[in-house]
Amino acid sequence: MLAYLIRRILYLIPVLLVLTVVVFTFVQLLPGDIIDTMIGEEDVEDPEVRAALEKEFGLDQPVYVQYVKWLGRAVQGEFGKSLITRRPVTYELMEGIPATVYLAVVGIGLSMLIAIPLGTLAAVRRNTPTDYAAQVSSLAGISIPEFWFAIMCVLVFSLYLGWLPSSGYISPFVDFKQSLIFLILPAIAVGFRQAAFTTRLTRSSMLDEMNKEYVDTGRSLGFSENKVIYKYTLRNAMIPTITISGLQLANLLGGTVVLESIFAWPGIGRAIFEAIIQRDYPLIQAGVLVLGIIVVIINLCVDMTYRYLNPRVELN
Amino acid sequence: MADTNIGHGGRDAVDVHPPTMAERFALVRQWFGNAWYELRKSKTALVGFLMLAVLAVFLILTPWITKWDPIKQDYRARLAPPSAEHVLGTDRLGRDIYSRLLWGGRRLVTISLLAVAFGLIIGIPYGVLSGYFGGWTDTIGMRVVDGLLAFPGLLLYLLIVTLAREWKLEGVYNDLILIFALGFAFFPEVARLSRGSVLSEKKREYVEASLVMGERDSYIALRQILPNIVSPLIVNATVRLGFVILIIAALSFLGLGSPPPTPDWGADLASARDYMERAPMIAVWPGLAICYTVLAFNLFGDGLRDILDPRLAER
Repeated sequence: MLAYLIRRILYLIPVLLVLTVVVFTFVQLLPGDIIDTMIGEEDVEDPEVRAALEKEFGLDQPVYVQYVKWLGRAVQGEFGKSLITRRPVTYELMEGIPATVYLAVVGIGLSMLIAIPLGTLAAVRRNTPTDYAAQVSSLAGISIPEFWFAIMCVLVFSLYLGWLPSSGYISPFVDFKQSLIFLILPAIAVGFRQAAFTTRLTRSSMLDEMNKEYVDTGRSLGFSENKVIYKYTLRNAMIPTITISGLQLANLLGGTVVLESIFAWPGIGRAIFEAIIQRDYPLIQAGVLVLGIIVVIINLCVDMTYRYLNPRVELN
Repeated sequence: MADTNIGHGGRDAVDVHPPTMAERFALVRQWFGNAWYELRKSKTALVGFLMLAVLAVFLILTPWITKWDPIKQDYRARLAPPSAEHVLGTDRLGRDIYSRLLWGGRRLVTISLLAVAFGLIIGIPYGVLSGYFGGWTDTIGMRVVDGLLAFPGLLLYLLIVTLAREWKLEGVYNDLILIFALGFAFFPEVARLSRGSVLSEKKREYVEASLVMGERDSYIALRQILPNIVSPLIVNATVRLGFVILIIAALSFLGLGSPPPTPDWGADLASARDYMERAPMIAVWPGLAICYTVLAFNLFGDGLRDILDPRLAER
């Protein structure tokens, strides 16, 4: 297990290199350079100032030297300052992470609460109207764009019924009850799509497990159907479901960009999106890189958990 | 292989002549007949297929079944409710919603098809060759794929689309960049899928036989193995089409798609938000259009998987 873990971590190095190269190249491919962006507003073109700035930012060196230097700084978490707020980029990003994690975790939790019972029920009552209803609704759930669903929720619950606020965020550490009220709509919008995925997954892994011999053995030993299904089968079927939900969590961290901007949710996705709109390149660069690294790490953890839960998987 | 006709006295023994029109027609009919027969095996695929057929008819006939120019504004008829003149009403600038939906759909579906095709064109050879040759080629190739897959959610598209915007690419170029971005983001998945299938296919006897016969590697990989691993790729591409449509809609919803006044489902939905209290339906139509299209592709893809992979269908 340990050897496997070490090998997996070594494998991460090239993955992270690809990630950094893409992010670095992105800024290189932008028209003009950072100096243009900085002195652009004042519209002064003084060659001496330019040369001094180029020297200060290391732009007078070859690209690969710039890359290595940039990588060296990035490893130390030094991504420079936001061009808009002039605060360190790391600070801007850290501010957004709690809100995004809060939303993503509650959203995923909500989806599992709905999806696991629904998927199990569909598998147990396979080829009955219950099953078809579960399948059709989960397929529909996958096909509905989340931003449209979110807007429709706002239309119904905020504009017509006036039950919930249409957007905004209150930190759970400040006022937990109020924060929940603001969380409901965004969490539903995040959760319903995940629920659709997880329902399909639970159903198919339940069906896989139910075809296995130990289920028949259990039945022939006279165990009640409930015990066979809920105590033994479901537990095994949960392994892939939980794994994939973990992966979804990773994806959500970057995927809530649209929902965060609809609900004015001050998360990392919205921070990156605003950076794109405002051309705040250091923030874009750092944001994408940080999210990428988080995804890679979550994937690794999920993989290790999977192997821990299911030792039959070859450690290869 | 070259020597298939040894056993029965060479080709001359069989009556070989170029097929007549009637025979060609019969072959085509047989092919469609088979396809239809296979399709009917899965209700899901059939429903998806019919939905796609309806969509295709509407989008192909768009110029003839829409009366209004999708970008023509009419300030006297702003936010009009559905009427005989405007079947689905008009938007905030008095433009005909029905017309905008169809023209927007034409553009959206074309871009998605091209994007998925682009992803397949790069991804398949990449994955097949990587899996076939193995060793260092494979290791490096797959690490690159892993790196690209580490981009969460929309971010890779956001990066590429931002670049396009900064370079002030407009019109066709903007669409081309979108196709490139979506296809490029699809290629790692295709590469991985085809590599996996090649790895299991490589151990089969026919590959060994071809190796013994001294066939070239590229011939074996692309002409013999590839046709055998097509089904999972088709299924994947169909489902991906639905996903690509969602991504394009999300990007243009964020204001990173085509600039106004191009008819665009995502952008139209975004601009409808400000008028939701007065005219909620204008936010409903583009959303329904997206749902319908994505659902059609998903149903068709799901059904195809059942048909092409009977092992799964038994479940």
